[in-house]
Amino acid sequence: MRRISLLVLGPVWLVVAAGCGKDSASPAGSDEFGRCADFHELRQVYWGDTHVHTNLSFDANMQGTRTSPADAYQFAQGEPIALQPYDEAGNPTRMAQIDRPLDFVMLSDHAEFLGTLAVCNDPVLPGYDSQQCIDYRNAQAFDADPADVFTIFVELNALTALPPQDTHYPSLCGPGDVYCLEAGTDVWAEVVNGAEAVYDRSDSCEFTSFPGYEWSGGPGTKNLHRNVMFKNANVTELPYNYFDEPYAEGLWARLQEECIDAGTGCDTLTIAHNSNLSEGIYFEMGNGETFTAEYVEARNAMEPVIEIYQHKGASECLPGETISDELCGFEIIPFSNLATTNLEVISAPDPRGFLREAYGEGMKLEESLGTNPFQYGITAATDTHISAPGFVAEDDFKGHGGAGQPNRFLPPPAGFPDIEYLSPGGLTAVWAEENAREAIFSAIRRKETFGTSGPRIVVRMFGGWDYPNNLCDFADLEAQGYEGGVPMGGTLDAQLGSAGPMFVVSAKQDAVPLQRIQIVKGWLEGGEYQVKVYPEVTGDANNGASVNLNTCTPQGEGFGDLCSVWQDPEFDPTERAYYYARVIENPTCRWTTYQCVQENYDCETPSREIDLDCCDPSAGLNVDWCESIDCTDPDNLPLADARCCVPRVEPVIQERAWTSPIWYQPPS
Amino acid sequence: MLRTLLHFFLIGGLLFGAKVFIEGRRVEGPEITVRVSMDATQGDVENAVRDAILLNEARRYGWDKRDPIVFTHLVRNMRFIDPDSIDGDLALYERALEMNMQAHDPVVRSRLLYRAGEALAYVPEDRMPTRDELEAHLRAHGDRFEREGRVRFQQVFLSRSKRGDALSADASAMREQLSTLGERPPKGLGDPLPGLGPEHSATPSKIKEDYGVELAQVVEEAVTGVWRGPATSVYGLHFVKVIDQDAAYVPALDIIAAEVRADRLRELRAELRKERLDALRGAYTVHIERVP
Repeated sequence: MRRISLLVLGPVWLVVAAGCGKDSASPAGSDEFGRCADFHELRQVYWGDTHVHTNLSFDANMQGTRTSPADAYQFAQGEPIALQPYDEAGNPTRMAQIDRPLDFVMLSDHAEFLGTLAVCNDPVLPGYDSQQCIDYRNAQAFDADPADVFTIFVELNALTALPPQDTHYPSLCGPGDVYCLEAGTDVWAEVVNGAEAVYDRSDSCEFTSFPGYEWSGGPGTKNLHRNVMFKNANVTELPYNYFDEPYAEGLWARLQEECIDAGTGCDTLTIAHNSNLSEGIYFEMGNGETFTAEYVEARNAMEPVIEIYQHKGASECLPGETISDELCGFEIIPFSNLATTNLEVISAPDPRGFLREAYGEGMKLEESLGTNPFQYGITAATDTHISAPGFVAEDDFKGHGGAGQPNRFLPPPAGFPDIEYLSPGGLTAVWAEENAREAIFSAIRRKETFGTSGPRIVVRMFGGWDYPNNLCDFADLEAQGYEGGVPMGGTLDAQLGSAGPMFVVSAKQDAVPLQRIQIVKGWLEGGEYQVKVYPEVTGDANNGASVNLNTCTPQGEGFGDLCSVWQDPEFDPTERAYYYARVIENPTCRWTTYQCVQENYDCETPSREIDLDCCDPSAGLNVDWCESIDCTDPDNLPLADARCCVPRVEPVIQERAWTSPIWYQPPS
Repeated sequence: MLRTLLHFFLIGGLLFGAKVFIEGRRVEGPEITVRVSMDATQGDVENAVRDAILLNEARRYGWDKRDPIVFTHLVRNMRFIDPDSIDGDLALYERALEMNMQAHDPVVRSRLLYRAGEALAYVPEDRMPTRDELEAHLRAHGDRFEREGRVRFQQVFLSRSKRGDALSADASAMREQLSTLGERPPKGLGDPLPGLGPEHSATPSKIKEDYGVELAQVVEEAVTGVWRGPATSVYGLHFVKVIDQDAAYVPALDIIAAEVRADRLRELRAELRKERLDALRGAYTVHIERVP
């Protein structure tokens, strides 16, 4: 494990208070719990995105994202931002605007190259004249060759795909990596200051920001990334990345030592994501060895939640695994790791990389080691690489970049703006007393969270032993929910003599009516993991709702709100179990279908003449789609949006919300 | 980086301009000719003059020769013109300069204007806003920092999904029941809806976002202490009784200092850009030539 010498870094201070100049205003006010006018003891729902990349991320930067962290915050609060591609004069050819502001945001730029980008862009910094920086800057030119751009991107980014024992900073960072460490410290200070500048410290509490970054380790491009979230401006000296700490357990140890235990007011947690692209290793120990008690305790303590869904697909469950679950097929992308996603090479995901498998493994580990390392609560996010937090609208999708289609070069995308297997991503919702850092951070830590595939479906879940069967008739359901049990993310301790735990789930629609609520139960039976889906605890799966594929207009009735009290009919008080709710909307068009409809794509008389994606690598490398296409024969290219007529993905989806599970802990 | 740019830039043109401005005397400055089309408007002319000055300044400080993007681009142009050349990059670059290619290439032009714009907006340490300036800024632009007033109200909700055809009749009965409550809270009345407790506090715009225009209007217009409704939302029917309303307000500087500072800096950058550009403009002798 490499340590950065404080002597090397010198007296670097993160100037995090609002007025950082000596003559400026005094440091921002306190952030004590209960300072907001909208404080609700029974907690409110707040919407956010904790996975956002801006031009500070190397991959986004290389893809032509020019918008900054400040732009991302503006976007989250409702302002429009510019999108690539830019023309020669530097004018954007596209814009984006969120339909409703978010309540909170954490920007999560990749930490690995924060310093690298700074070194390569600042002529006074040592390392600026290195060949790697020259190549990088050449790749930034308006008329750069896409192949050159890709080459320099791969050359540097591949460092994050080296085995942990071999990974290292780029050579441009100089002896001891000092150039990049020093520059990275400055950038990190800017990130923290940027979050401070937009955090609403008035008692209106309109917007909350968290400093954060993404630790982007991916040996062999098997995704092990996780986002690091800080509660406030008291942060670690550097955003420790894969080069500094090549194992997640090292990262947690360092965060524990230098943040949580440091006595500086620092607090932090990590958010797991994209286990679907890990080839099944996300839920293993980083060094591949057998789990230890120390490891499972650290993971349980430091990593309370996971993104169940984002731009690069869902990680809930894989169709055909464990049990029959018709709704497991939602936004499953047919790729096994980051490289196959980037290059669009079809490859089967590993079922061990899915959350439902991990929940079972976690319970088994708890049996042997006393702690469940995978007792995750649920979040969802965009993982946008265009500085557009919360940009989840299926009917306004412009591509999120990252592992998707970059859209850097002119002309603006004429066909789909992203690899069609990818999607707009989702949102995280928290139940918190107020929209402020302490309350939201605490909600995430206690897992009183849920994720949605984009719509702001509001769902509440409580588990207890003695709820009345007609709790849904009580206007004070929420008060009784807390009083008689635990909210989503909580753990129910055994209660002798009870017939079984009871769960109350209450949900309300966003723009589209709800169809039904499901409960997913997992448990250990004689040491074997079992899962069962209760497909309709309330609502109506056969309500006849559909969508007009010519207009994308939803058809049929649904429910504005749904509520149900459900008791487990097969409860065994001796076995560990978890229960989570899935709230399902009526069917709607997927983004690909919206775009075909919006373009008035006529399958009888197609209007486009060439497939840009296939023959222009800068527009995306749809390898399997392009296999049959001969780009040397332009007269015989297939029509660009033949995919509108023969879609490779489901044209209709059912958006949803997933609650954090409530866990049952049998008597020891 | 900006600090470095400033060293290269403005030291000549800006200080020169400032000297002219302060001393109020005529000093021989750079002289340029700007060509515009015959039908160019005054705004077009001003933009053309601004760009010409900035490009000239950029060249005075050699950015067209030192900027890596400019270098690469000009070399690439030369290799396109002369693909068989065996000259090295430097030689090609010098030939491009001899041909004055940097003056006409749109990419080079765009790059140089960008760098010049960034340098113009640089905020030196001694211009960083003081607390007094921030206070003045907050006073002058209170509207930018104003917070919407909140409304605190009691509510009773009747679910359309749950009550179906009985909703209307249930609403009539509920109205009767509420009229007899007096000052008592509506404890236990109505249906639950996640996130909407018996007593609620929110801004009208948030109510509108969550429950629609009708309920927001009823809340915003309601007389304090009187049950109103039902208002319709996608979820069903709502009765509300406003308890109190806060007026819109501007938080104190101590609370929102970071926000005010960021806003002031944005403004300051724009001011500095204009101030420096004006100084440069004053220092230049510009001839306008209208061409067909």
